Amino acid sequence: MRTVLTTLTVLMVLAIMGIGAPGSAYSEEPDTAVRLAVIADVKGFDPVISDDLYSNTAASQVYEGLTQYSYLERPFKVVPNLAEALPEVSEDGLVLTFKLKKSVRFMDDPCFKATGGKGRELVAEDFIYSWKRLADPRKHSSGWWIFENRIQGLDDFRNTAQAAEKTDYSVAVSGLQAPDKHTLVVTLTGPYPQFLYVLSMTFASAVPREAVETYDKEFLNHPVGTGPYLVKEWIRNSRIVFERNPNFRKEVYPSVGEPGDKEAGLLDDAGKVVPLTDRVEMHIVVEDQPRWLKLLKGQFDVGGIPKDNYDAAIDKETNTLKKRLARKGLILAKSVEPDATYTAFNMEDPILGKNALLRRAISLGYNTKRRINLFYNGRAIPAQTPIPPGLFGYDKTRVNPWARYDPEEAKKLLAEAGFPNGEGLPEFVYENMADSTSRQFGEMFTREMSRIGIKMKINANTWPEFSQKLRTKRAQIFGVAWSADYPDPENFLQLLYGPNESPSPNSANYKNPEYDKLYEQMKNMPDGPERLAVIDKMVKILWDDCPWIMGVHRQRFALQHSWMRNYKYHAIGKGFYKYYRVDAALRAEKRKKL
Amino acid sequence: MFNYIVRRSLYAIPLVFGVALITFALFNLVGGDPTPKMLGKFATEEQILDLRKDLGLEGSRLDQFIFFLKQCATFDFGYSWATKQKISTMLLDGLVPSLTLTVPAFFMSIMISVSISLFCAYFRGSWFDRITVLLCVLGMCISMLAYIIAGQYYLAFKLDMFEISGYEKGFAGLRYFFLPWLIYVTVSLGAEVRFYRTVILDETGQDYVRTARAKGLSNPKVLFKHVLKNAMIPILTNVIITLPFLYTGSLLLENFFGIPGLGYLSVKAINESDFPVIKAVVFIGSVLYIFANLMTDICYSLVDPRVELS
Repeated sequence: MRTVLTTLTVLMVLAIMGIGAPGSAYSEEPDTAVRLAVIADVKGFDPVISDDLYSNTAASQVYEGLTQYSYLERPFKVVPNLAEALPEVSEDGLVLTFKLKKSVRFMDDPCFKATGGKGRELVAEDFIYSWKRLADPRKHSSGWWIFENRIQGLDDFRNTAQAAEKTDYSVAVSGLQAPDKHTLVVTLTGPYPQFLYVLSMTFASAVPREAVETYDKEFLNHPVGTGPYLVKEWIRNSRIVFERNPNFRKEVYPSVGEPGDKEAGLLDDAGKVVPLTDRVEMHIVVEDQPRWLKLLKGQFDVGGIPKDNYDAAIDKETNTLKKRLARKGLILAKSVEPDATYTAFNMEDPILGKNALLRRAISLGYNTKRRINLFYNGRAIPAQTPIPPGLFGYDKTRVNPWARYDPEEAKKLLAEAGFPNGEGLPEFVYENMADSTSRQFGEMFTREMSRIGIKMKINANTWPEFSQKLRTKRAQIFGVAWSADYPDPENFLQLLYGPNESPSPNSANYKNPEYDKLYEQMKNMPDGPERLAVIDKMVKILWDDCPWIMGVHRQRFALQHSWMRNYKYHAIGKGFYKYYRVDAALRAEKRKKL
Repeated sequence: MFNYIVRRSLYAIPLVFGVALITFALFNLVGGDPTPKMLGKFATEEQILDLRKDLGLEGSRLDQFIFFLKQCATFDFGYSWATKQKISTMLLDGLVPSLTLTVPAFFMSIMISVSISLFCAYFRGSWFDRITVLLCVLGMCISMLAYIIAGQYYLAFKLDMFEISGYEKGFAGLRYFFLPWLIYVTVSLGAEVRFYRTVILDETGQDYVRTARAKGLSNPKVLFKHVLKNAMIPILTNVIITLPFLYTGSLLLENFFGIPGLGYLSVKAINESDFPVIKAVVFIGSVLYIFANLMTDICYSLVDPRVELS
């Protein structure tokens, strides 16, 4: 006991003296590892459960799909990944033939018993198996929607598996054929222009059957993919260390970008073999302060700006980085997120749902610009339609007549609606989350409404409660945010498609036959003037009906150190660590001054 | 003593049953349905129902409770609903960082606070005693969050004395614990010094102390040999009852210092309605608490021969 106590005392004294702890874990290392911070841990490395941002990001360094997003090009564009080229498409657009790259190998793993642990070659059957796995009802994958009712025979496979005691993966799916080991033929049930987008999602990645069967429930802890990195270390809730996959095929850094990329040095490594660095560390740091301080110390190479540190980092007058940080070599990168926030009215509510004038009045009493300053530090733009910037159909000249703050006009509309000064209206209930920011958001809303004579109270919920209310149509007015699954306006306009009413994503339960008809027409159209014309009509219907109070499209401000190379935020694709690298010598030199 | 231990262990069974019942009732009354989140934003009612069936949430409450009791009996809590990870692995992974954080810091705080309390008692009424009491009150008024934010910013970021945050396995990783330990000890001192000082001062008013002094024993001898020994019962009670809580770590310290312990794990499980993890954490915590109570009683008999376990 005495020895233990002595040791503890010595450790405490060491701590107080700061011996061995000078914030210097990395300061003298001339290493080339890229270090990044994220705010939550990953669930595991299984593509079918990679539905949150961080699990998705981590899994997409290890697993790959047939296609991926072009790293530098904007608007977002799909390019081949494990496929040699984009598929050949039949005349009716329903049969897609993919040719797989040859000699792509999975990473070495003991699960490959036939090859003595050497990673075997990827074949077309791996995709068939992996997509059946996504359809397997026992996996309860949140990614099943990407193929649901889309591939011939796959829904039948799912239904058969549902009825059986065990899923039989040998059951054939007519819409998934592998005539030879490098050819995959996919037959769709109908037009699906977004198909290549969904194939770029981690859900559609190839996993080896041997690994799934060997590790069973522990498969998510034994990633075996074809990707540029393997998982060297994973300390849950702390960090994931990715190391170069020695079996990774020869792939090079892209040589095409958007205007400005060349000047920004983003094409300096064009044609170089990737991954450009041997090691990438993904650190999980839940709290803002340590994440921010470590970024400033140069212990992370790239990071966001926490809300509370925004004033210390950004000059509000010019919206640029403060000189103090710029002198340290930090660079500000701005990008608009393809997302939309909105406050929805439950259109099945007997009062709100039947009175467009009332909904417009509420919308006019809602101050979006003030919210952008108070809650987003100015890092957002007011939304006029559900479609965010960066997607086809976004038009910054569009002006939603009800998405402006005009309480006087709101009062007039309220009177026109038959409720002068709010008389005759019941108290509305605004459902939101229980965290402090959401409460402040709600309090502002209730104050704004009282200014135009509408009584409103806030009901704070946990996420499960909130989601349950939306699914069961029990929420009256509520705030939601939607991030793009893929860069197509259909992904946002479906949020108001009648058949998608609750429990599906149309939580406003908005139904307009004309809108629905246009949506059905638009969703299968190629981008072009005709599609744009349809979108215009849909937007005007939405403006008239006003089922939502439009919120914002959020902007992302990130800081990167001067030694970081090839970092360009991609809001949709995630498997891009292979392109990152650091100038190790510059980092070692600069860190001494931080 | 053996009979006593057996009897107390048997008493623990209804207690554990009660804990299980309360945990189960709370989750079912206010826990919310975790399945929509698990299935994502495109989940259909049919998929939600299927998942609820697979998770056993569609069975009768009695069946669910019996299943829970079986898990408690076997200490096999299965897999997390939210992360799909094996719960025993999650708990073991989180246990080492949590204990590395709390156990050394706890014992350091006990040693330091008992020592300071003895000094205060020895110099009762002096400037040292008064200033210490004042500092203790001040220390108790400031929240741990303030210590963390200030410590991390000034000591780690500005002065480079400690790591800002992080975690590594093995001895090399201890450097990440120095600042959290320091904060833990500093935060604990206020309440502990006040408590132990009161306990020790209570003892110094006893007849045997006057007798010892009348016999000519020196003050240090009276304090360290007699008073400290007699003050051990309340000290032990405080120490042992606190021990079970060490296993869940400290949420704030873990979050701010990037320590992947059980505190963070537990709160995350509550937020996600991850019932299997909540069950495991609550159940193991209650078992440890009951065990600690038993240990306290046994320790009483060891430090005070007047206490008989019958």
